[in-house]
Amino acid sequence: MSKTEQDLLSNIALDEIFAAGRAETPAPSEALLARILADAQGVQEAGLAAARPRAAPRPSPWARFAEALGGWTSLAGLVTATLAGVWLGFVSPDQLNTLSGGLLLPETGGTAIYALEDILPGDDGLAAFYEEGGQ
Amino acid sequence: MKMAFDAQSEVSDEALLVAYGNGDRAAAMALTARLAPRVMGFAARMLGGDRHEAEDVTQEAMLRLWRIAPDWRQGEAKVTTWLYRVTANLCTDRLRRRRGVGLDAIPEPEDGRPGAAEAMMQEMRARALDEALAALPERQRVAVVMRHLEGRSNPEIAAVLEISVEAVESLTARGKRALSASLGQRREELGYVED
Repeated sequence: MSKTEQDLLSNIALDEIFAAGRAETPAPSEALLARILADAQGVQEAGLAAARPRAAPRPSPWARFAEALGGWTSLAGLVTATLAGVWLGFVSPDQLNTLSGGLLLPETGGTAIYALEDILPGDDGLAAFYEEGGQ
Repeated sequence: MKMAFDAQSEVSDEALLVAYGNGDRAAAMALTARLAPRVMGFAARMLGGDRHEAEDVTQEAMLRLWRIAPDWRQGEAKVTTWLYRVTANLCTDRLRRRRGVGLDAIPEPEDGRPGAAEAMMQEMRARALDEALAALPERQRVAVVMRHLEGRSNPEIAAVLEISVEAVESLTARGKRALSASLGQRREELGYVED
């Protein structure tokens, strides 16, 4: 069915109908607003909870190793001591022998100048221990 | 309806959304007070005046806004434009599911307040408008509702529909002509008597 211009509502009348529509716009109810705010809070709390593990990630194996030794300062001390040991082994042991008063190394090759009992406390006690059969 | 907690009226929607994403609860209240009535009005127009369905759509659209808040890219789109687009899509989905259900199935407005003849006429015209809008193709309906009931600009409507401003003008013009035709058949009922 074709429309003639007379069938059409005038622009003025249409504007009035739009105005009536704007005046009758439904507003959200209190209950709807409460539901929307509850959703907002739920999403917000879920987001914050999900963000927490990201804030404290699981430490790497290397970091956990360092922590087990007592932290990075202890690790630095350990490295220093290790390097010092390597260095002492590398430089001439004669100097160490001098410092130890000749106790560490024999002056002539092949013969130890000390026995096990020499460096254990109370050689008598140890002998007695052997004699009693370890009781 | 007025809400007492819309105290941040000078802050932009986008700033409020970012604040909400950062854990600010007051921002959610301000955004709800500001945006929920617009979404509700738009959804109701798109859904032929069905208040119950419009409330469901409003809650869903706002829920999507809350969820996107942490990932919102500032400066890319207006919050209202994004929200109108989401609402229009939600309404379209519902209208397609509703296919085959006539306008008679849409409940009468609950508010049947008695009053002056003018108030009754206004209500009747608004209802006739809802019915006429419901008969428009969806994109024409979006364009006409946003332009003439929501008072949005053509560039914003173009952004919502993802078309050019010229295409919006064409849609609006065709929509208005279709409304004039369908409402013209009810001119006496709507108080426009021929001289």
